[in-house]
Amino acid sequence: MKRYKAVGDVSELPSVVFGKRAITWWGTLMFMFIEGMTVAVCAASYLYIRKNFHDWPPPPTPLPSLLIPTIGVITMLVSIVVMRRVQKAAEALDKPAVTTGLVVMALLGMALVALRFFDFRSLNTHWDTDAYGSTAWASVAFHSTLLFFEAIETTVFAVLALVGPWEMKHFSDAEDNAMYWYFMCGIWIPVYVLLFILPRWL
Amino acid sequence: MTVARDAAPLREPGDPMTGPDPVAPAIWEEVELTEEDQELRKKLIRVWGDGPGLWGWIRSTSHASIGKRYVVTAFIFFLLGGLEAGMMRLQLSRPENSFLGPDRYNQIFTMHGTTMMFLFAVPVMVAMGLYLVPLMVGAREVAFSRLNAYGYWVYLIGGLFIYTQFFLNTGPDTGWFAYVPLSGPEFSPGKRVDTWAQMITFTEIAALAGATEIVITAFKHRAPGMSLNRIPLFVWAMITTSFMIIFAMPAVATGSQFLAADRLIDTHFFNHAEGGDALLWQHLFWFFGHPEVYIIFMPALGIISSIVPTFTRRPIFGYPVMVMALITTGFMSFGLWVHHMFATPIPQLGQSFFTAASTMIAIPTGVQIFCWIATIWAGRPRFATPLLFVLGFFFTFIIGGLSGVMIASVAFDQQAHDTYFIVAHLHYVLLGGAVMPLFGGFYYWFPKFTGRLMNERMGKWNFWLFFIGVNVTFFPMHILGLEGMTRRIYTYLPETGWGPLNALVSGGAVLIVASVALFIFNFFRSLRHGAVAGDNPWGADTLEWATASPPEPYVFLYPPVVQSRNPLWTEGRERPVFTGLRTDIRDTLVTTTLDATPDYRQNSPNPTAWPFIAALATGVMFISAIFTAWGLVVGSVLLFFPLVKWGWPDRHDQSVRYSGRGEIVEK
Repeated sequence: MKRYKAVGDVSELPSVVFGKRAITWWGTLMFMFIEGMTVAVCAASYLYIRKNFHDWPPPPTPLPSLLIPTIGVITMLVSIVVMRRVQKAAEALDKPAVTTGLVVMALLGMALVALRFFDFRSLNTHWDTDAYGSTAWASVAFHSTLLFFEAIETTVFAVLALVGPWEMKHFSDAEDNAMYWYFMCGIWIPVYVLLFILPRWL
Repeated sequence: MTVARDAAPLREPGDPMTGPDPVAPAIWEEVELTEEDQELRKKLIRVWGDGPGLWGWIRSTSHASIGKRYVVTAFIFFLLGGLEAGMMRLQLSRPENSFLGPDRYNQIFTMHGTTMMFLFAVPVMVAMGLYLVPLMVGAREVAFSRLNAYGYWVYLIGGLFIYTQFFLNTGPDTGWFAYVPLSGPEFSPGKRVDTWAQMITFTEIAALAGATEIVITAFKHRAPGMSLNRIPLFVWAMITTSFMIIFAMPAVATGSQFLAADRLIDTHFFNHAEGGDALLWQHLFWFFGHPEVYIIFMPALGIISSIVPTFTRRPIFGYPVMVMALITTGFMSFGLWVHHMFATPIPQLGQSFFTAASTMIAIPTGVQIFCWIATIWAGRPRFATPLLFVLGFFFTFIIGGLSGVMIASVAFDQQAHDTYFIVAHLHYVLLGGAVMPLFGGFYYWFPKFTGRLMNERMGKWNFWLFFIGVNVTFFPMHILGLEGMTRRIYTYLPETGWGPLNALVSGGAVLIVASVALFIFNFFRSLRHGAVAGDNPWGADTLEWATASPPEPYVFLYPPVVQSRNPLWTEGRERPVFTGLRTDIRDTLVTTTLDATPDYRQNSPNPTAWPFIAALATGVMFISAIFTAWGLVVGSVLLFFPLVKWGWPDRHDQSVRYSGRGEIVEK
């Protein structure tokens, strides 16, 4: 009969790690692939429809407004800087700084959700006006689900940091949450350029 | 230690699979547990076991439980899809038959295609992966086991939903690819197409969840020592497939949401009058739909690469080339989708490109086939049922592949488009390329799933009936197609002269039905009366055979250590393992991505019903969304609580607590 032969011991290994060592980092990466792909499909549909129109946006639809969406993008860039500090604090296992940072981020997230409501209005068209309106709305709407869920997740994390049983692994989760936040903001920028700026030349 | 490519076969003739074995080598020996091992086993069963009863069943997040019920559910959908195929064959068996009317026929062929592609083929392959990948890489559990449970429940709800609608005469009726404008609001009023579009969303979520878990399990939970160049080929196939799911499925999920929106809230994605485009749908669908074919087919290649070495007693020939071929196929499958659209006005440059790409993808598959043939040639093949199905695959799939190369040519495709020639081609590839290996895989892993072997004699009958049935059913369809019989017609006139061949085709279908019925009988009989298998009944080389049959809830008593590409063939009389995982929580080992050196310990979550409840909320969301867009809002609110509870730490389950700045306290 065979026997087991111990060739090593893993009891000294850590149970919380950060970055790409952690499986949650990989999970976040996979969701970034899936959602990045979906945003790309929306953007591709928008460009595919372009060939069916002589003018873009098709008259009498006016050009999309720039003010609110640009404020939104600037808010996002600011939020990235704040989130970077939360991430650093999480890596340093600095619970008070993480808590404060997450609360600020939750508020920023809510502000972004509110601004997003006006982003839709800034398109100056409706989903049922024509195919231009449909694809533009779809692109903003899909990204809004990312923004919405990330804002909620950050808020839930903030609540957990304030009242919940905070475990070591949550530092690692907070770090991955930061990575997803960068993605969510980062992928909005090409969508913003495509939908709000490019129609001026397309 | 590695096995040389030209190593002598590991077994002499007369092994336990053909008769009494004169010199039983270490491969067949099971590990004897010491008293200490027995103690550990008891502890781990307590920690890793599912709770008792129905509640325990609902709460289970075990990859083995979920994987098994996933496979069984997918197989039930296979039977339903087969029943629909049988009804179509009955209707077409003679000219001007009146068994099914045109409306019912439309629903039935749509349900057949939809069921087979979305509810059977992809889920069953993902399910096999979810069950087997952790075992093959030496892990105790998949990464994100709660997501695994959620994926299964969402899939089940989606499948039940479309079948409920079908029985209420609201089944979809516009074909499995639901082309607009036929499926748009103008030509398909009512809820039939909405049912289809929403079912897509359910199954995509499930497939994406499964794919994510498989990739991460294979990347991060491998046994120490299983560097990238020692990963079993089945696992490589599942990794590639999972990445394809991740990059292909968003296209159809988005497309089906566009379609639903066109129908529900008057968007104009596909409405030509308002600048929309019907071809946009085809692009979105086939950008997913072509990789889909390979998503179904690649796991089958992995199954073959598991069966062939075991039944020829030698390591696979050309392992690195096999891995490269899988990955190449994965990449190339994204460059072919337009060959489904050769009958639409696409630029000539596009036609040439996609013709070339479609022809080229035969190369990596050809490479793999040659490697398998070389393995069989240089080994000592034993023609048990799993290997018979592999040989059946060679024959059937190659015919399907050759007709594929034919229709890759635009000139030929424009003649054959939408005829039974295409039906013949796709069934040759899917039945030959996926279902035959899958049956072989069922026979091969049945002892691992259940602890008993399936009956070999019935298995051989199963194979031959299936093999002959498939060829009798689908070969004449090539001729019918060339004679001009188009797809999706519910009847035809006697003057066409298609009657005799159609009768032959329907006769072939009877053989397939008999074969599947025999399989089901064999399955149930073997569950009770099959020979007891033991850990490694075939003397196979991969780690799943180092577990008990069926595996204990904790799967591996200790994390195994891998020293070669064929660990069980090279380990000798001692099984190298790592010790030191905790025994009071669900502790798992995470290793580095490239070299699989031990990196950290990950606490796998306890069972919980929240994924199930979240899946129910998801069901409410998508099903109500076919009636009102507010369904999405209500559903999101319903989903919020279960999702938070799902991830919220359980106060009873705090394994590692934070106790102030920088300090870690282990309970």
